[in-house]
Amino acid sequence: MRDTARDPARVDPLEQLRVQRSRLADRMRPPWWYLPGVAIVWALFFAGPFTSRSFSSPTSVSTWAIVVPVLAACFLLQWGMTRATGIKAGPRLRDGLFYYRPGRPAGIAIAVVSIAGLGTEGSLIRHGLLAAAIVVAAFAVAAEVTAQQALLRAIRQDLRRGGGAA
Amino acid sequence: MTAKAKPDPLIHPITRLSICGLLAAGADWVEFAALRDAAGISDSVMSKQSVVLEDAGYVEVRKGAVGRRPRTWFRLTAEGRQALDGHLAWLAQLEEAVSASTQDALSLPLVPISIRGASKT
Repeated sequence: MRDTARDPARVDPLEQLRVQRSRLADRMRPPWWYLPGVAIVWALFFAGPFTSRSFSSPTSVSTWAIVVPVLAACFLLQWGMTRATGIKAGPRLRDGLFYYRPGRPAGIAIAVVSIAGLGTEGSLIRHGLLAAAIVVAAFAVAAEVTAQQALLRAIRQDLRRGGGAA
Repeated sequence: MTAKAKPDPLIHPITRLSICGLLAAGADWVEFAALRDAAGISDSVMSKQSVVLEDAGYVEVRKGAVGRRPRTWFRLTAEGRQALDGHLAWLAQLEEAVSASTQDALSLPLVPISIRGASKT
């Protein structure tokens, strides 16, 4: 491989750093299976109200039956993404909470859609409007995948700008 | 830039500056191959310079393996970040000073140069 870092044509180290950061950001593209995986995870999440309605067992058992696979799938997706790109970036655990300033709008959107989606679904199911609840769940999954894409875009922009640096 | 502008001789070589600058870009951990490709350097240069940075306490290294393939991950330490911020601030100041002096040189009045014998042709 050619040592472009030693390329005499590029004498400005700051400009060179900008180019290299841009190259690093371009690596942060999700593999083909990532977004379909995210969609499946959210589909499982929004299937929760349906299962708790149809299960005859106590609600807590059916909730755990959804929550545990969803969490496991989230962990696997994130692990796979880190392995595929070679970059661990995004929300970081600090004081028991996840922080990531550039991805805050996307994070808020994810939280709002999940709460609103679950609430609306629950209400529609209680009123016997199953078809409408399925439509709401489908829209919520699409919105969550879009928000996830926005989060990845924010991470890429942050890497390109060198947001972590001074 | 809020960091105190201060040149760091350890970060000054372009390859080490590239490694530190990439690690400070916003990622938590970056894998060897990703860092090498983004910096545009060879395996051997990457290994050599990362050891220097690790010995100086500027970079934290975590080694692992996926199956039989070894994987090395890098992260910038707080000390490394501080040194990089100071060095980048110094470089930015240097760049400003160079562009200001270039502007001054360009604003000088142009003196016509007469070439001896040019009027004969």
